Amino acid sequence: MSASGVGHIYGERPAVADVHLDVAAGERVAIAGPNGAGKSTLLRMMATLLRTGTGTLTVLGEELPGGARRARCGIGYLAHDPLAYLDLSPRQNLQVYADLFGVQDADRRIDDLLDRVDLIARADDLVRVLSRGMAQRLALARMLLHGPRLLLLDEPHASLDAAGAALLDAELAAMRTDGRAAVIVTHEVERIASVADRLVVMRRGRIVVDEPVAGRGPAQVRARYEECIA
Amino acid sequence: MSTAVNRPRWTRQLAGLIRKDLRLELRTKETVVAMVLFAIVTLTIMQFGFGTRDDDLTRFTGGLMWVTLAFTAVLGVGRSYVAEREQRVLDGILVSPVPRIVLLAAKAIAIVIYMTITELVVIPVVGIFFVKGPYWDSIGWIALVALIANVCIALSGTLFSGLALFTRARDLILPVLFLPALVPVIIAGAGATHAVVGGPHDMSEYRGYCLFLVGYAILFLLVCIATYDAVFDD
Repeated sequence: MSASGVGHIYGERPAVADVHLDVAAGERVAIAGPNGAGKSTLLRMMATLLRTGTGTLTVLGEELPGGARRARCGIGYLAHDPLAYLDLSPRQNLQVYADLFGVQDADRRIDDLLDRVDLIARADDLVRVLSRGMAQRLALARMLLHGPRLLLLDEPHASLDAAGAALLDAELAAMRTDGRAAVIVTHEVERIASVADRLVVMRRGRIVVDEPVAGRGPAQVRARYEECIA
Repeated sequence: MSTAVNRPRWTRQLAGLIRKDLRLELRTKETVVAMVLFAIVTLTIMQFGFGTRDDDLTRFTGGLMWVTLAFTAVLGVGRSYVAEREQRVLDGILVSPVPRIVLLAAKAIAIVIYMTITELVVIPVVGIFFVKGPYWDSIGWIALVALIANVCIALSGTLFSGLALFTRARDLILPVLFLPALVPVIIAGAGATHAVVGGPHDMSEYRGYCLFLVGYAILFLLVCIATYDAVFDD
């Protein structure tokens, strides 16, 4: 993923301005910043859900917006909402997404994932009756369903219970070895030390810090973040 | 972790989206039941409004039926993206590699199915309420024009509901855009129905109206193909 001079304007207010960011295969980049810093807007542009106003954005080797459809085949997106139909079951929701992404041997893959996120026993209940944490675990399964090469996560730990969060952390840890990349927007700065290789801090739509996390503990990452947004 | 993913076939995407819409409708029964009830209530009100059972309203049959169906279509089309909007699923669909025209086609096919179910009730009720003289021998012809008109309604309706989806006043904007676009469908549907109801069939007139509807459908199909990517991605 490569962003060069990327910007986006809502009305007359620039939400993201002149962002330069490269994410290599196998790299996990955490983006932090105060509310309104432009983190989610940048993530939505990477997810092809929002067009860039300025600059060039390349995702999985495809320049957007022209290559958006090809790029989408390799993007896994986890949002605040589970992005699931409440009046379908977890299994039926995953079947919809398996059809959209062209997942082969979908039934077996869906069962495997439901088992991994510990939803197999509730696979045929309506999403409407699941707890928020369960719905977010379903979202995790949806994101992983098609084996994406780039994960884009917006506040991924916010609604996950402890088991779901552990599963996500394990998935992020495994990414380093299999060459997948992740961009994680988060307010939980302490987690960055364990889930990311790089810390990017945004403020007023611009990147103010982009540096490695290696060797820092949660408290040091928090201190560095506070220093950046002060 | 590796997963076998091919470049997804649009036929599978289309079938998956239609299956999803029909499953949701079977589960909630929110759209078709509302459409059928609305159509019956409207026809009943018109029956009272236009006169007693003794009055012969045969020559108004086409107009009464197609005005009712047009308003019913607004109701159905207005609900076509309700699940995606209210349950905030749209981002999940849009981040998948589904061509936007496939989204339109799936919604349009679902609307054709909902309209057809509604017409299975409306067409007989119209005959009972308004027609004196031959009607039931024309049912096949009425069904044919209804099917063509359903495609017109679905294509224009899905386009406008997609446009309205991203506006704040969507519940107001949809009827304001969609009803005027339905006027040609009402004229042709009513004309074709009039040509085969209540007397000798005028097949030349009927054919002319049907061809007009086919032309309308082709026009809106081309507009959809040209604009639907922009509706969702811009």
